[in-house]
Amino acid sequence: MPKNDLSTGLRDTNGRVDSLVRGMVERARDNRGVGRMVLVFVASFTLFAALNPRVFLGPINLQNIMVSAPEVGVIAVAMTLAMLTGGIDLSLVSIANLSAITMSTMYTALGASSPGLAESMAVPILLAGIMVGVLCGLLNGVLIGVVGITPILATLGTMQILNGLAIVWTGGSTLYGAPSGFVTFGKTAVATIPMLFIVFLAVAISIAIMINRTALGRKMELQGANPVAALFSGIRSAKVLLGSYAIGGGLAGLAGFLFLARNPTASADYGTSYVLLVIVIAVLGGANPNGGFASVAGVVLATLTLQVVSSGFTALRLSTYQYAIAQGVILITVMIVDAITWPKLRRGKKRIASGAPTK
Amino acid sequence: MPSLRRLQGRNNEGTLLLVLIGLCVIMSLLNPVFFSINTAFSIMRSTTVPLILALAVLLVIISGGIDVSFPVVAIASAYTSVTLMLNFDFDYGVPVVFLMSACIGAVLGLINGVVIARFRLPTLIVTLATQGIFFGAMLTYVGSRYHPDLPPSMSRLSTVNVVNVVTSNGKAYLHVLVLLAVVVALLVWGLLKWTMFGRSLYAIGGDYEGARRAGFRVVRTQVLTYVLVGVIASLAGVAHIVMSRSANPQDLVGGELDIIAAVVLGGASIFGGRGSVLGTVLGVLLIQVINNSLLLVGVPGAWLRAAVGILLIVGIGIQTVSARRKARRVHSVEDAATPAGKEA
Repeated sequence: MPKNDLSTGLRDTNGRVDSLVRGMVERARDNRGVGRMVLVFVASFTLFAALNPRVFLGPINLQNIMVSAPEVGVIAVAMTLAMLTGGIDLSLVSIANLSAITMSTMYTALGASSPGLAESMAVPILLAGIMVGVLCGLLNGVLIGVVGITPILATLGTMQILNGLAIVWTGGSTLYGAPSGFVTFGKTAVATIPMLFIVFLAVAISIAIMINRTALGRKMELQGANPVAALFSGIRSAKVLLGSYAIGGGLAGLAGFLFLARNPTASADYGTSYVLLVIVIAVLGGANPNGGFASVAGVVLATLTLQVVSSGFTALRLSTYQYAIAQGVILITVMIVDAITWPKLRRGKKRIASGAPTK
Repeated sequence: MPSLRRLQGRNNEGTLLLVLIGLCVIMSLLNPVFFSINTAFSIMRSTTVPLILALAVLLVIISGGIDVSFPVVAIASAYTSVTLMLNFDFDYGVPVVFLMSACIGAVLGLINGVVIARFRLPTLIVTLATQGIFFGAMLTYVGSRYHPDLPPSMSRLSTVNVVNVVTSNGKAYLHVLVLLAVVVALLVWGLLKWTMFGRSLYAIGGDYEGARRAGFRVVRTQVLTYVLVGVIASLAGVAHIVMSRSANPQDLVGGELDIIAAVVLGGASIFGGRGSVLGTVLGVLLIQVINNSLLLVGVPGAWLRAAVGILLIVGIGIQTVSARRKARRVHSVEDAATPAGKEA
């Protein structure tokens, strides 16, 4: 009997290990974004660490990467959500700026009457900023989900409108002032990890849970993978799109807070280069621009990789223009590598999806 | 009412024209200064460069793609030509400048086209990447200096006007490069209407796989499209440098979404297969007229961006809703469902 027990036990373990390994292989293939980005991240980090270890591995540089990554990263996560549903959101940076401007203006207005009150209202001000983001996101959601405008055009329009409003509001100048709570928050670090970075990780984890573990996340995925099938499965696409763009808007509002926490100024044209940068990050992170697949972990890694490359270039005294070249080359290379290997792995799916054989 | 339907145009050009005329009438009533040759000429002048760029974008959009690298291609090819001429101190006249920058534009366009067509990658993402590469390469390897003085042939061209009229409110000039925009518009119109290439563009934009099975050479057409976009954009770049009488490598860049908005406003479908030169001309003109009238009425220029955004949303919104209604009337559930999701 004991012998039998042992053999079933072994068989059991064997089967479990087998399925575990198979699951891991499967996941590695599914999460191409993540595996690929881990590789690129480690490679770029090692490269710059080897080329200029004194500057690049210095605590200031590492701290800098962790402080500058969150604002881009949070917007990139929002972009990933839009791409998951098969859309794109060009208005995110405008929303973030509008939220930062709202918060700064509220603080200044309150501070004019009673400075003490303005400082104590830091949390309500933050909530107001996020609400502005959610409302702007809802506007996008209505245009895309209810009216039925193509996401790229709807958000192109709202980008212009919100940016225009921000310019009119500020008169084109930079606003100064943010609750001192924001600024101290931006400077605080827990065990050498800046609070801003912890916020970024918290956002990433909660969005990842939302995508993978909630009904709304699953519906977004299905909506992006095949809107017609989603419709016939009883998914209310208008509701799903409203939800995803509102959440994206809220994240952009939060990014506005991160802008202010890093630097207590707000203007209409802050971070204009982020619009395209976050698309690059989302695609590098493995989000399928046609919808249906996105990986938050990949996006976090892609954000960090681009920050590493950026600060590595600075450490090597290369210009921001050369960084722009590197950014483009990385994006194209990754896309081409994907285009070459995809058809071999999943020939059938690719045929149907793109309709054309890749020679 | 078939005649009314015809007037409306296939891509709502009629409606657009009506809006444009209405706006001009209202503006003239509000402010008589608006109704003058000076205003007309200045609008035509400011329309020149955006229009040439918009015509380039039109080709891509008809083919079902989207290009955000064209302003960089425009300025990179023109700025590189000017820098070469200044550094090596040669000047063989304006045609050579245009030719030189057209060649550079063609090469840059070829890079876009090959990557997109050969690997079937999303056009937005690829042109986003090449935009960074081209811009970075220009500023790193060609130069980032602002040239206040142009080569003699170009600075001579910058003061040439086709029409000089003395009116009650002073002199009115019409710059010679306005003709370039007209010529490019006519050429693109002819290309789309009468050539096999134009047909292929509409076919590919309408249905890629369908076009391929019908025997269109899709890869070759796509590559050629992006080469052509590069060439047309480079002409706009030279025109811009001549008209602003200086070469600034940071110019034009960042205005890509405004141009795309004008083309889409002109009735081109972002999904491809639909769009016309007339609509594009009207779309660009409309935005310039709004720009001009806002200033005249005394609305701060800051409102311009918001106004264009609202116009875009309202215009597209009306098109979308009416298209959906039409689709529902004909038959399928499929058409009613698609607008909510997928993007080309």
